[in-house]
Amino acid sequence: MESNKVEQLLEAYFEGATTLAQEKQLRMYFTSDHVAPHLESYRDMFTAFAFASQETYDIPIHLPKQKKPVLRWISGVAAVVILTIGITTQIIEPDNSDAGIYVGNVPQEVGVLKTKQALGLMGKMFSESTAQLGAVNEFNTTTSNFFKQ
Amino acid sequence: MDQTAFIQLVNPFKDKIYRVAKRLLISEDEAQDATQEILLRLWTRRSKMKQYRSVEAFAMTMTKNYCYDSLKAKRNNNLRIVHSNYEDHSRNTGRQIEASNEVEWVYKLMKNLPEQQQLILQLRDVEQFDNSEIAAMLEMNETAVRVALSRARKTIREALIKKQNYGIQ
Repeated sequence: MESNKVEQLLEAYFEGATTLAQEKQLRMYFTSDHVAPHLESYRDMFTAFAFASQETYDIPIHLPKQKKPVLRWISGVAAVVILTIGITTQIIEPDNSDAGIYVGNVPQEVGVLKTKQALGLMGKMFSESTAQLGAVNEFNTTTSNFFKQ
Repeated sequence: MDQTAFIQLVNPFKDKIYRVAKRLLISEDEAQDATQEILLRLWTRRSKMKQYRSVEAFAMTMTKNYCYDSLKAKRNNNLRIVHSNYEDHSRNTGRQIEASNEVEWVYKLMKNLPEQQQLILQLRDVEQFDNSEIAAMLEMNETAVRVALSRARKTIREALIKKQNYGIQ
């Protein structure tokens, strides 16, 4: 490109009046090895722009993981299954435990004896504990003062 | 839209987001964070993507807003961190170092421009968007874009000429 044409383009360039195509021409001219000596001072500018446009962003893009609708559907089903299992076992369990108590092979007489024994033991302990409570009556009969007045 | 489709959609302009963010924020780390954040925001809005005429332009507007916000936040902080992106130049040849020093100088000059002019210069002269696109991205009118662009270019030119004549005149 002739230097007088470059000068014209430069003038328009600094007025912001050049088109993108013309600016491309200028960039080509100034990044080539044949820059007229009196235009040398503009070279840095165009080289800088050309340099700057070569930089790249090479870091992989991190995106949050996408939740797939299929997975959501599966988790819904799983929740329902777990719930039904839980509820049915809860309902069935009391039956099992009742059966455990009544189905035992303990003879009736032994059962009656054991119950009597247990009740007797309980009655004994109960009377012992009430006997100890007799000490509390002392509060009613005593005349001395517990507390300073 | 699944992840691969999204990545294919953003691939052509993710570099642009990064470069624009780096122009304004300077630090490479901050620019990377900004890019990641903007892509994430785009991802969360992917269902509304069809409403936008150009996803690229929309991404640029987001980048602009993000950078302005983080610059504002930084300015409000008393603590300032000066970023210098350390790089190993040892493998370059002599001439390339010289060239890259000159180039660095231009970047420094750009840094001294008002934020809006930096952005416009980056979008026009580096990313090669046309003025109407830039006007839409920055929510300005086209004439204002052209005036700001011309001012930015002239400021750089004057600084470069001044530097060249330093010590001569």
